[in-house]
Amino acid sequence: MPREEYQVPTTSGASSAGAMTRGATGGERHDSRAVMTYICGDCGGNVTLSKDALVACPHCAGRVLYKERTKRMVQFEAR
Amino acid sequence: MAPSRHAAPSAEEHLRRNTVGINKETVSNVSSTDFPGHFPGEDHAFSIEHFQSAFSIQFHRNEANDASFSLIGIDASLANAFRRILIAEIPTLAIEDVFIENNTSVIQDEVLAHRLGLVPFNGGREGIHNFLKWYKKPAAGEDQYANSFDWNTVRLELNVTCTVNQDAAPTENDPLKAYHHAHVYARDIVFAPTGRQAEYFSGENAIRPVNPDILIAKLRPKQTINLAMHMHKGIGADHSKFSPVATASYRLLPLIHITRPILGADAEKFQKCFPEGVIGLEPVTREDVSKAGSGYEGHLGEVKAVVKDSMKDTVSREALRHAEFEGKVKLGRRRDHFIFSIESTGQWDSDELFLESVKHLKLKCKKLEQQVINMVQ
Repeated sequence: MPREEYQVPTTSGASSAGAMTRGATGGERHDSRAVMTYICGDCGGNVTLSKDALVACPHCAGRVLYKERTKRMVQFEAR
Repeated sequence: MAPSRHAAPSAEEHLRRNTVGINKETVSNVSSTDFPGHFPGEDHAFSIEHFQSAFSIQFHRNEANDASFSLIGIDASLANAFRRILIAEIPTLAIEDVFIENNTSVIQDEVLAHRLGLVPFNGGREGIHNFLKWYKKPAAGEDQYANSFDWNTVRLELNVTCTVNQDAAPTENDPLKAYHHAHVYARDIVFAPTGRQAEYFSGENAIRPVNPDILIAKLRPKQTINLAMHMHKGIGADHSKFSPVATASYRLLPLIHITRPILGADAEKFQKCFPEGVIGLEPVTREDVSKAGSGYEGHLGEVKAVVKDSMKDTVSREALRHAEFEGKVKLGRRRDHFIFSIESTGQWDSDELFLESVKHLKLKCKKLEQQVINMVQ
């Protein structure tokens, strides 16, 4: 697999293949409904959201969630 | 050749030629005239002997981060060349590449990288000026670090994580007290010596920010910044972060010539037209009064305005706006008296910078000379 290809940053393996998600358009198949981890904008804690879950942090009820950043090094020119 | 080839103008005429007139709404006599062929019978060809005898330097202030001095008897073209070399051509070391492993702070990666690049650094002079050499960017397709060696790349690291301060009162509102590392400062940057850098940059010679209190980012608990940086040598023409000076500028010496006496209340008003210390008030002396036609006759003991220190003047021309001073004062600037001001960012000393600019100009002239020699061969 090429290094540059996007990887969902979670550990859950491929399971329940063929399960259609509610929002998906017909014919499109998802290998899995991966559990995504987000970072709460208020408390900084990790938040996992499952399908249909309320978009809020369970620890502090913060409603701003950030996607996790890539684990790779990113290079910038200081200009 | 005309017999009066070396005829020199009188001191009065010399001053007139070297004065830029500052009038109410105009500036007059702006161009220099000391070049061959301008005045019949006068020789103004450039000679190093004449330059040496006419040229002088006066230091007004000489601190590491701020130097002020006068170059007297030099042409604007040369003075300006020094200024431009100071700003754009003297090399310094600055952060060039930022490798961000993690940054969950609110400041974006590219903005953070830009901010880091502008932080001025200091370190062992011997190492920075002589040991460190130019870095050449590897060509496309080449290994990214093919040209990175200890003699051209300095590695720095910045690893900060903000945590809650357990000792703080729960009602603490000041983030600096409530959290550890709520502010990331330039002093949090750590120098990581590689190879022979340990010889040149150890102890007090370590590469360090000139101003440790520069605020780089603000953090809240669990936010973290984790990055490495590479510093290279560069020049201000490439990016202003490499410029060794905060400002390098010059101004011409202001001249204030009181042509007719300004006395009494007028003198006090005249003094207020200039910055403090430029105009002084003195009583009219017996000597003044005894001079016929001086305008002081019969005013013995009254205060008169005298020029104390015209260098402090900002040439605001305020005095020219008032009818009572009309025809009594002439403002101007000495064309060949440059008051230089150099503020170093810290990697060089300010006076050292000027010497370096002279060195650079000399080198440029040597290169040009070789080109001319090649041309005539």
